[in-house]
Amino acid sequence: MNRKWMFGLMTLALIAAAFLSHPGSALAQSFPTKPISFICPFPPGTGNDVIARTIADKLSKSLGKVVMVENKAGATGAIAADAAAKAPADGHTIIIASTTLSINMSVSKVTYDLVKDFAPVSLVGMMPNCLLVPSSVPAKSIKELIELAKSKPGQINFGSNGVGGAPHLLAEMLKLAGKIDIVHVAYKGTNEVVADLLAGRVQMLFAPLTTGLPLIKDGRLRILGVCSDKRSPALPDVPTMGEAGFPALAIPNWYGVLAPAATPKPVVAKLNAEIVKIMAMDDVKERLANQGVESRSSTPDAAATYIKQDVAKWAKVIKESHVQMK
Amino acid sequence: MEIFNNMILGFSVVLTPGNLFYCLFGALIGTLIGVLPGVGPAATIALLLPFTFSVPPVTALIMLAGIYYGSQYGGSTTSVLVNIPGESSSVVTCLDGYAMARQGRAGPALAIAAMGSFFAGCVATVIICLLAPTLAELALKFGPAEYFSMMVLGLVGATMLAHGSLLKAIAMILFGLVLGLVGTDVNSGTRRFTFGLSPLFDGIDFVIVVMGLFGLAEIISSLDHMEKKEIVTKKVSGLMPTRADLKASWKAIIRGTVLGSVLGILPGGGALLSSFASYALEKRLADDPSRFGNGAIEGVAGPESANNAGAQTSFIPMLTLGIPTNGVMALMLGAMMIHGIAPGPRVMIEKPELFWGLIVSMWVGNLMLVILNLPLIGIWIRLLTVPYRFLYPAIVMFCCIGVYSLNSSIFDLVMATGFGVVGYILLKLDCEPAPLVLGFILGPMMEVYFRRAMVLSRGDFSVFFTEPISLVMLLAAAILLLMNIAPTIRRKREEVFQE
Repeated sequence: MNRKWMFGLMTLALIAAAFLSHPGSALAQSFPTKPISFICPFPPGTGNDVIARTIADKLSKSLGKVVMVENKAGATGAIAADAAAKAPADGHTIIIASTTLSINMSVSKVTYDLVKDFAPVSLVGMMPNCLLVPSSVPAKSIKELIELAKSKPGQINFGSNGVGGAPHLLAEMLKLAGKIDIVHVAYKGTNEVVADLLAGRVQMLFAPLTTGLPLIKDGRLRILGVCSDKRSPALPDVPTMGEAGFPALAIPNWYGVLAPAATPKPVVAKLNAEIVKIMAMDDVKERLANQGVESRSSTPDAAATYIKQDVAKWAKVIKESHVQMK
Repeated sequence: MEIFNNMILGFSVVLTPGNLFYCLFGALIGTLIGVLPGVGPAATIALLLPFTFSVPPVTALIMLAGIYYGSQYGGSTTSVLVNIPGESSSVVTCLDGYAMARQGRAGPALAIAAMGSFFAGCVATVIICLLAPTLAELALKFGPAEYFSMMVLGLVGATMLAHGSLLKAIAMILFGLVLGLVGTDVNSGTRRFTFGLSPLFDGIDFVIVVMGLFGLAEIISSLDHMEKKEIVTKKVSGLMPTRADLKASWKAIIRGTVLGSVLGILPGGGALLSSFASYALEKRLADDPSRFGNGAIEGVAGPESANNAGAQTSFIPMLTLGIPTNGVMALMLGAMMIHGIAPGPRVMIEKPELFWGLIVSMWVGNLMLVILNLPLIGIWIRLLTVPYRFLYPAIVMFCCIGVYSLNSSIFDLVMATGFGVVGYILLKLDCEPAPLVLGFILGPMMEVYFRRAMVLSRGDFSVFFTEPISLVMLLAAAILLLMNIAPTIRRKREEVFQE
């Protein structure tokens, strides 16, 4: 018995020694020293989740430590963002952020600051929304749609996947910029709207490109414009919002990997180097493309600048359209 | 001929080693939890949901569906052998099944239950094949007004479903409605009843409510009457039913199948209601009703066929309309959404391999179940001899894992525990949790559809009466309500006259 005890104690002492001999500050050379928690602000199966799992899989291999995706859904991402902002800033906690977290800053009261509380590692993807109408709506272009709405004030409905989401805000912007009177009908998720869009109960919808693609090919839905600076490779004939005369609507959804603000620069740089490599891999590009997301990467500084501008853009939109969540 | 092509497509999906394995796995797990008292298919599906993320959607759905109808099979086993209904829908099976077992005829009772279930499963599969496409055509005609009226019908049906006090059932539905209101309002983005707690902003998760009210509450209350559990472990002899048994049962099986198929489609109906209705029907049609409760084989054959048929046809509204008819279907709906599939009329058109694969898998799964079930009985009995001091902590642990896996949130666990306590109190007060869950699911949907219909009609209430489908549903709801209230009024009047 005694011998067993001694053996156990010695093992413990060895483990303790291994920990103590380790340099206290998390330098880039030694990072990562333990499994990395990759927080996802949305439930499994969502865009953020698929991207996070794709990156986590590759990152686990290249860093030699397990990168675990942790879904912390709730309050449209605010719970996860808050948790990530307050996590120890040693690089062992990162978060897959996206447009929703920018919008939240202005649309509701949140306990995080996307610009001040985080050290961006890299942008990882872009996904533009597009403007869809059912085939029963005669308009063939955004210009014709605006004219149609002007001839029928208060009669055209637009659907959205929820109050205060990007699709809702984009339609509100079009309403203001085009000086048209259209009515908002909120749904719980894009899938629900599409059924009513097909039946012609709602006449317009901003949604990610992938949502409508099979129905667009079927001829039951028509796509009038893409909310991006450049045309989509999947639909080269469809004009951008800028070309249609509404450059302010060219705000694509972004995805990015962020770490808590105080994370040491060398650690951020190491993560960035790995993620840049991962985002350029062919199989990663393909998995993201299946979700309608274009794979991207950037320097930490470029990501910080982009996110700062994005937060400001949405703040302006929300101020002008008076959308609030109480 | 299109049906045949569809069936061939379905078989080509199911008859792959992977899908066959998951079909068998689901059916087996379903049978297992059907046998375990207190663990329902809803909790099991919720628990296994995260494990399906890594497999293709059709495989995931085949497995989850297997759990559901497998549990209908398994539920009958304990009802017959030990007088414990494994599932709420097999409560009536206890009445005559256990009586047969005491007469040493457990074998025929279990065999006829399995045969009836298999027959019902086959018929229900054919019904889904023939009717589902027609229903899909109609589905796009279902706008917010129609959905609202359908849910009114469902809620009225839910009060009929309760077999205790009507007042308590209504109270439970209202309690469920209030719980359903928690969270961010879809129409305005306003947060209701969240007390500023961010974990409540998205509402209370269905799984948390079910795990607490059913799983945890059931275990707490089982501990109340531990000593009463009497388990019959003596050998089941004489497996097959006699010719006389078959002659007595076949009509009951057919009637039960028809009843179950119809009620399964109705919201608020499903397997539970159909088994009760079938038992009542058989008793009324019997030459000698006094045999019921004393080991009448029709009393096992009818309800068992009905609950299996109902379990399967309840997939029709979920698959073609995106409307869950019960808690399990709500979870299946969630599973489809997670896999990026919008349940509704387009599933059949856009994902035919998924739709027909799932339907054919039900038939294949039923076949597997009937082959597997009879030899398995001995093993189930041995499992029941696991002492409850090991079984219950294990169940509690699985519940906790299930809830925590939702959002990695401790708050959710605390909520589930709270619901467990609430559920126990409700059980003590003889309030059934089922109407509460129905109110919880249907209430918020009803509100959203009502307000959406109002926005679309620009505030014109007449839309619910001018749309024909909506009008029919509302009329049906009114008739159901009158049928429910009328006997009560008559009884009251008689009482008054007697005085």
